Amino acid sequence: MRMPLFRVMMAHELRLLYRNRVLISLFTLILLVLLASLWIGSSMFRKQQQTIGKIGMYQTEMADSLKSRIERIEAAQMRYNGFIWDDPTFAYNTARNEGPQFAVKQPFALQALMVGQSDVQPYYYKVYINKKQNLVFDGEIDNSLLQFIGTFDFGFVVIYLLPLLIIVFTYNVLASEKEQGTWVLLKTSNQSIARLMLYRIGIRYGLFTGFFWLIVTPVLAALISPAFLATGNWWWIVGFVSLYFGFWFALSFLINSFSLSSNLNAMVLIGLWLFLGLLVPNLLQIGLNRLYPIPSRISLTNEERNAINKYFEKDGQALTKDVFSSPRTLIRQASVVTPGMVYGYGVIVYKSQEIKDAAAHVAEQKLFGQIERQQAAIERLQFISPALMMQEVLAGLTGTHWHQFNQFSRDVDDFRVQTQRFFYPKMATEQTYRTFTVRDAEAIPRFVARTYADYGWLHIESSLSVYVALVAILLFAGYRRLVFASR
Amino acid sequence: MIGLIFRKELIELIRTTRMNWLLLGTALLVGLALYNGYTYAVDHQQLLSESQRVTYQQFISQGDKNPHLGAHFGFYAYKPMAELALLENGIDDYTGNSFYLEPHQRGIVRFREVTDSTALRSFGFLNVGYFVQFILPLFIFLLSHNLFAKEWENGTIKMVLSARVTARQLFVGKLLACGLLVGALLALVILIPLALLLVQPQPVDWPTVLPVYGCYVAGLLLYALLLTVLGVAVSLLTRSSSLALVGLTGFWLLGVFLIPRLTAELSRRVYPSVTSADFDRQTFREKEYGVGDEGTKDARRAQLEARTLKQYGVSRLEDLPVFFIPITIEYFEESDGRVMDRAYAAVEANEFRQDRLVLASAVLSPFLAFRDLSMHLTATDMNTHYDFAAKAEQHRRRVGEQVDAFYQNNTVATNAFWKTVPQFAYQAPGVGWRLSNAVASLGILLGWTVLALVMMVLSYRRVRV
Repeated sequence: MRMPLFRVMMAHELRLLYRNRVLISLFTLILLVLLASLWIGSSMFRKQQQTIGKIGMYQTEMADSLKSRIERIEAAQMRYNGFIWDDPTFAYNTARNEGPQFAVKQPFALQALMVGQSDVQPYYYKVYINKKQNLVFDGEIDNSLLQFIGTFDFGFVVIYLLPLLIIVFTYNVLASEKEQGTWVLLKTSNQSIARLMLYRIGIRYGLFTGFFWLIVTPVLAALISPAFLATGNWWWIVGFVSLYFGFWFALSFLINSFSLSSNLNAMVLIGLWLFLGLLVPNLLQIGLNRLYPIPSRISLTNEERNAINKYFEKDGQALTKDVFSSPRTLIRQASVVTPGMVYGYGVIVYKSQEIKDAAAHVAEQKLFGQIERQQAAIERLQFISPALMMQEVLAGLTGTHWHQFNQFSRDVDDFRVQTQRFFYPKMATEQTYRTFTVRDAEAIPRFVARTYADYGWLHIESSLSVYVALVAILLFAGYRRLVFASR
Repeated sequence: MIGLIFRKELIELIRTTRMNWLLLGTALLVGLALYNGYTYAVDHQQLLSESQRVTYQQFISQGDKNPHLGAHFGFYAYKPMAELALLENGIDDYTGNSFYLEPHQRGIVRFREVTDSTALRSFGFLNVGYFVQFILPLFIFLLSHNLFAKEWENGTIKMVLSARVTARQLFVGKLLACGLLVGALLALVILIPLALLLVQPQPVDWPTVLPVYGCYVAGLLLYALLLTVLGVAVSLLTRSSSLALVGLTGFWLLGVFLIPRLTAELSRRVYPSVTSADFDRQTFREKEYGVGDEGTKDARRAQLEARTLKQYGVSRLEDLPVFFIPITIEYFEESDGRVMDRAYAAVEANEFRQDRLVLASAVLSPFLAFRDLSMHLTATDMNTHYDFAAKAEQHRRRVGEQVDAFYQNNTVATNAFWKTVPQFAYQAPGVGWRLSNAVASLGILLGWTVLALVMMVLSYRRVRV
């Protein structure tokens, strides 16, 4: 690189940009927007941390209450004066009341950058033995309209807003020379126009990207602590976002090389932004929904209910009769709840749940199988839209991708099975029906919370290579065109 | 003369390569949006109506069971697809359509489609609503941004105005040409859905649909007029195509993405939602320990027992002529119901405040005002969602009362009893109710149109050579 020429151009570019009031105003606006997005993301992260802290306290409170209630009953020779359905010495009652444990997806600091799927997927569940919690729990209480509108995070600013700023920043790099009449002067100079334009774009890219990270890194460190700097996730994010900006600069360079008017350049670039950022993902969505239609959870429920009805035609019918009419359970009429009835309900719930779980398993495989197929197709095709690629990579690196929530929900389901295995034998003990002790309360399984921010499944190197190659091709094509144009 | 200018402008627009691409691309998008919207609406409607039938059938054929156990098997109330869901699916995928009718548990609407969608969903769902709100403004701005600006840039304004053409004739001619192209596109958007409604497998309730559709078309025409006028006004004001394009695109970006999302975040902060964990904890406490001087659940149960024994003049539960368990269930159904009603009313009131703040920002974004109007008219909005949830909850309680009344005298319910439980059916309220909910957005849209017209007239008056 010819350093004196580069320095002259750098000074020239800085002066030009400094004197461009429209750009200065736009930069200021975007800077504010960027800061706002970081603040919003970090406060969402903190809110999750607070909620999880509250959940922890609530859980401890419930565990203490359960143990002290059992201790009181044991001290009173197993006499319980309250309502029988609240008696914690029945395993079934505890499994419904104080027994259910929370399963938590530990928030990852960098999720402050990207909401991803975390606005629609739960990051904690209360795990009951009689509900497939990952199928029926919809997540936090949130206004559907606000969810529909979408979140305002760093990812949104990077994917949608900054490319438009880059367009405004670069659309007339060459056209302005023509429109101001300086093009002829440039052509008659002894400098290569192609190289000059490449320098101009390169300088603008460097200024833009450098300024961006100079703002983002310290602000984020101040908002969520600088520990994220030690993660591989962060450096991949820096690499990908810089490459994403590089793509838009390179595209603009190519469009500029066609020597069109400023207006036409702007129209083409805005059209491409719309096409690549909104339309391609939409078209892909239509195609994938046709190829791999995702069954509704409504069908899944119908299958569960069919299985239950089938069970109650024979075996379930016998069990119900046994529970509600047998002298063993002492229910002669529905006025007094007896210990046998609590036990009986527990057994019915346990049996029905096994049937429901088996039926749901098939439907569940179908549901998640189709989503996985769509996800795999997205991964293969993400190169056709840089916006989609950024969305996928950012979500994966910040721990808010569907894949990570799915992993969490599978872990929760495993934990539910573990909880069932713990409670079922205790619910089925018939001798006294009241066998749940303090030691049992202490042994209730707990979910081991962890962060889900691994990205090995993302094939990040190949995405990066594809985009490096794409940027290189765009730059090369633009450069070649300019070399020919200046001849 | 106006006719000549109109023809010249139209030919120029149609013969320009970039315009051809723009028109072709837009027409293709309209086609895709219609296809996507239609298949979505038809598939979902079939699934929902079939599921409503199946779930009820499962309930009424569950066989002999303890009435309370059978009631827990319950069934679902489904919100049917809105009649105009092929145009706009609004927030339906975010709220869900299924409401479980089960004792003790105040239902919540479940199974939000968005939970099982990939990241592609965040790019939007291409249907007519999406097209009109996101793409149409950009199409109109691309069409109109240099309508006048190009005359200054090419230096032709002097030639035109020094001929026998008046500024008014030039203005009207160009406006009509631009309006014709916008109108042609709107004709596609308005007429094809009507044809699709005619051929869709579900029967259409025309007396309900037509007035709603008429209002939707009127709103769409007003919105398109506003956008065209705005594009022309900016083109007249800036006299630079690039500046007009950057300005209009920036306005679009602000109005479509930035303002709604920023206001949504703002409303989350101004009116924070309760977390699910806090909600459960609070309602559990109120149900167990009572509100005010109600007393604990055990105390209230003891009072109920004493009252019931006194009412029947017996001293033991076993001597009651009716069963006591269903009486207890019904009593706590009511008292727990009050707790849950209060809790859900607080959530809804908070969501209402959040929605109002978002709608207020439509003062800065006409796109948002139109979206609100569109969702209200097509019954895919929050008000319709609340209305459905309220009616489903009423139905749940009605079923609970019926089962508990039966349970007071019977310990086994057969299919003959289950068949007496009524099926659920929901019909969204009519056009008057929908319009009354959309008054604010309609007013804002009208205000924007008037403002844009004033801006255009003032810019036109500044036209000098």
